[in-house]
Amino acid sequence: MEFPRYHKDIVTDLLDGKFILATDPKFVELKNSQEFYTSFFKESFGFDVELKSDYAYILSAETNEQLSRDICIFFGLLCYEMDKDGKNFLEEVQYAEFDLDMIDNYFENSSYIDLIQNNNQLKNSENRKQFINTLGRRNILEKNNDKKFSFTPAYKVFMDFAANFAKGKLSAPESEVELVDEN
Amino acid sequence: MKAEPKTILNFLSTYYEPIKDLFEAQSKDGYVRKEVVNKILKENESDIFNQLVEYKFLKKLGDDFEIRGVYFKFFEFILNEFKPLLPETIEKYERSISSLFKKIKEGISKDRNILVQRITELYNEVREFSDAVEKNTMRLVAETRELKANVDKIDYKEKVRKASFWIDYYITPLNSILDVTHSQSITNHLFEISQYVNVRRLNFDDEGTRLQFEKLYNFLIQTNDDLMRQSKILTNELLPLIERIRTESLILTGWIEFLKQPYKAPLPKVFKVYRDLPYSNDMYWNAKEYVEQFEGNDEIILEDVALEDFEKWIFNKELYRSKLIQSLPVSSFFEWAGKTLKGEYKAIETDKFFSLTTLLFEEGIILELDPKSDRQLIKTSQMNLRVPKIKITKHGIS
Repeated sequence: MEFPRYHKDIVTDLLDGKFILATDPKFVELKNSQEFYTSFFKESFGFDVELKSDYAYILSAETNEQLSRDICIFFGLLCYEMDKDGKNFLEEVQYAEFDLDMIDNYFENSSYIDLIQNNNQLKNSENRKQFINTLGRRNILEKNNDKKFSFTPAYKVFMDFAANFAKGKLSAPESEVELVDEN
Repeated sequence: MKAEPKTILNFLSTYYEPIKDLFEAQSKDGYVRKEVVNKILKENESDIFNQLVEYKFLKKLGDDFEIRGVYFKFFEFILNEFKPLLPETIEKYERSISSLFKKIKEGISKDRNILVQRITELYNEVREFSDAVEKNTMRLVAETRELKANVDKIDYKEKVRKASFWIDYYITPLNSILDVTHSQSITNHLFEISQYVNVRRLNFDDEGTRLQFEKLYNFLIQTNDDLMRQSKILTNELLPLIERIRTESLILTGWIEFLKQPYKAPLPKVFKVYRDLPYSNDMYWNAKEYVEQFEGNDEIILEDVALEDFEKWIFNKELYRSKLIQSLPVSSFFEWAGKTLKGEYKAIETDKFFSLTTLLFEEGIILELDPKSDRQLIKTSQMNLRVPKIKITKHGIS
């Protein structure tokens, strides 16, 4: 049987939770063989392939809630602080290069200091650096050197989430049944 | 006016600063209050009040003043600071242009002098319309860019309010005036006129009138190009720019709402890494990420519970089995188990709950499970259990 080019790398990357970006030759291959990969991941693992115009990733029924929450808190705080600083945060996230010192500055002077200090990944400079590395490994951002990085189009997953959140489109993930005492 | 034109122009040039301040005051308020005139002249140490009246720069308006239209427009032009016209004001040109065009068509074989006069007036109306559109677009570009740059650091609510204001009252209506795909737009009327004028400039029997038609035709072609350019600026530049401000603010609202309760809010799905190969380069990081997800922030205190607190409870399977059979059909087994225990003991103790769970494996019990349905949360005395919704329709034997 003939497999698409980069098959092993595509599968490995996606199973490692990485976003495959449009700038990566693997993306073209994945897009050209979309039907194959959709059924391959569904049949082999029960995962869904999400293919967007400039990035792709897979999803399973189980989700890494902790990482998702940390990423959302990180983006939420960053966008809030940049807006407060008079910047067009969407443009910054899309085009600008970020510096760890700048991130430290925003987080250390944030009015959300309680939230930051209670979050293991974001509470201090060293942990934030490690967190940035985690995002780098998932291809949510690209490290330009030890201190500088830029976001990849994968940031859109989280911005779309925030927009939908504002529209009130999201509901709690599970129905919670409160048992009523019938006596 | 007694003064020489050159004298007036020299005057405007010499006293440019106070005159510009007066212009700005009128741009802001629509007129210039007497106190403002005095203040501006005093600040600039210019005793020119009499000349301003003599050169008909200022016109009395009760106790206050107004800069005459002709001067005001001149300053708008040289300062490139136009007050945007409401699109409904611009739309009046549609009426005047249509009416003149109708008269030209009706009087095409009648008095030549009137015909030529009408062509000239139509030319002027089209020029005024085109100027008004251009001024508005320029002003809207300036306003939108200023909003985008946000030099004044206005907050996002105000930014959205302003963006919505410009979109709703100026950009969208102006765009529909210019929209060529809309049959009633002025641009389409002008196109219709230019087709008519094109024929007349070629076949009209009087040469003088033919030349007037020729002049109008060339002007209409040029105007059409100008309007297309303005429309493109609106569609390609302004709308996306201003739409982006709206999107940005929506996202920010979402983040602010999320940050209020990040530990209770829903979350976007992020793939959970299942396998870690020992030879993978990312093994260390993946393992770290995996372990970190269990790192809670809450302090966990383990307490020894004295054994005598527990009463020995023996699970009477037959009793609960018949209770279950009596309650059939049960839409959610675990919900039933929880309610039964709560009814009897006021609380759901975990071990009792688990004991009841064994009923699921009893012979004759027919289960139905929709794997896609949401899980339910059952709060027992020691833990929160997320359980699937298991339906029991009937007991196989009964």
